[in-house]
Amino acid sequence: MKLRIDLFFKLLLLCGLLGLSHTSQAQTKPNPNASPNDFVQQVADQVLTALKADSSVRAGNTTRVNQIVDDLILPNVDFEKTTRLAAGRYWRQATPEQQAALVKAFRGTLGRAYSGAFARIDEATSVKVLPLRVEADAAATDIVVKSQVTQRANTQPIGLDYRLEKTQQGWKIYDLNVENIWLIENYRGQFAQQISQTGIDGLIQALNQRAQQ
Amino acid sequence: MRSLFSAQQFGLALCALALVMLSGCATRSVGPANPADPLEASNRAVFEFNDAVDRAVLKPVAQAYAAVIPQPIRTCINNIFLNVGDVWSWVNSTLQGRQVDALNTFGRVLLNSTMGLGGCLDLASQTGAKRIPNDFGVTLGVWGFDSGPYLVLPIIGSATVRDGTGRAVDLYVNQVGYGSLINNINVRNSIYGLEVVERREALLEVTNTLDRTALDRYSLIRDAYLKRRQAQVGGATAEAEKLPNYEDYGAEPADEKALGLTPKK
Repeated sequence: MKLRIDLFFKLLLLCGLLGLSHTSQAQTKPNPNASPNDFVQQVADQVLTALKADSSVRAGNTTRVNQIVDDLILPNVDFEKTTRLAAGRYWRQATPEQQAALVKAFRGTLGRAYSGAFARIDEATSVKVLPLRVEADAAATDIVVKSQVTQRANTQPIGLDYRLEKTQQGWKIYDLNVENIWLIENYRGQFAQQISQTGIDGLIQALNQRAQQ
Repeated sequence: MRSLFSAQQFGLALCALALVMLSGCATRSVGPANPADPLEASNRAVFEFNDAVDRAVLKPVAQAYAAVIPQPIRTCINNIFLNVGDVWSWVNSTLQGRQVDALNTFGRVLLNSTMGLGGCLDLASQTGAKRIPNDFGVTLGVWGFDSGPYLVLPIIGSATVRDGTGRAVDLYVNQVGYGSLINNINVRNSIYGLEVVERREALLEVTNTLDRTALDRYSLIRDAYLKRRQAQVGGATAEAEKLPNYEDYGAEPADEKALGLTPKK
């Protein structure tokens, strides 16, 4: 079986912006009001450049990884929407406290994926965002941007698609696709399975338990 | 080359596997039935058996391989096997009537085999011509065969009834077809062994990530596998524009402070 699931976690890092340390103010923020593929490319380039310069991340420093996720990734991702869509109809059955706990627990899962993915960046890693295939309708608010990721030299690039939504603050990413697998769709199955067996609290607990391992 | 297991051990392993599969049917509770996976109980049992074998044998060997052989050489070896695989992909693309794919794959094999030093350097991918994986299971699907229920096969892993049949043909071509080109049995077995190890090593990152992040690896792998096969049979254009349509059960604006997210600026 050839799964590329690790890549969509790895590539959530491309949704970030800014440098890793506050001293590198020379970098400009990606413009969320630019066209969606330009936005994604700006973000990807900035994050990769910053990550390649930081060796502690490559060594797997968890605190640093969580900091990067909070600073670079979450601002460009509508993560509450991602969690909400993954929970599906169970979202309405959850109390606001449960919803908050679920968002937090899910974010913890993805943070763990990043710590492994960041460690595998090397000098040859690059992301190339493809131009929009059809000229997007000017009023389109939900769009898919495709990119090619080259992880290492001499390996074939992997296709990674982002699904963005136009919010008041500009474009935000809320779903990822690696090799025909959409992240939300996939986690929906797992969430539904877990909730049907142990309920929403059980799901939150299971997600948090993974964090301890 | 001496075989790794004696006949007795092999027999015991088979018995263990049979017991595992039967016990799975008897005792496992798997939640609501999944229409795509009517054999879920025994599939999960085989899945766990495969996991145990993987943890005991395949993964340690793959990790040792990764520790000893430097990355560029591993990539080179991986590309060589993939290049050989591309030949069979070309045959299948032709059988399916996908002439554009077949032509592209043929060009890939030609370029990589000659300028790419026998497949070691994947020059074709760097020029933008992506690998187009294809196998006999997809061919059967394109010819109209329904996939049948999801199956987890011992050692081999995810399959469906159709894909399992296709895999048998793939294996025949690989072992008997190509294998007959190599007369020396020791060399042939060593190459098969290397192929197993290097393919497992190539998947190490993926499986490690799955271990860390999946709530239920079985259903994640199953859903991903079935989706991927559907996409391959449907072809590139069929699935490309079909976006999943999520029902949004929380369309009212969320209270961000309550959710603990930093307020958007």
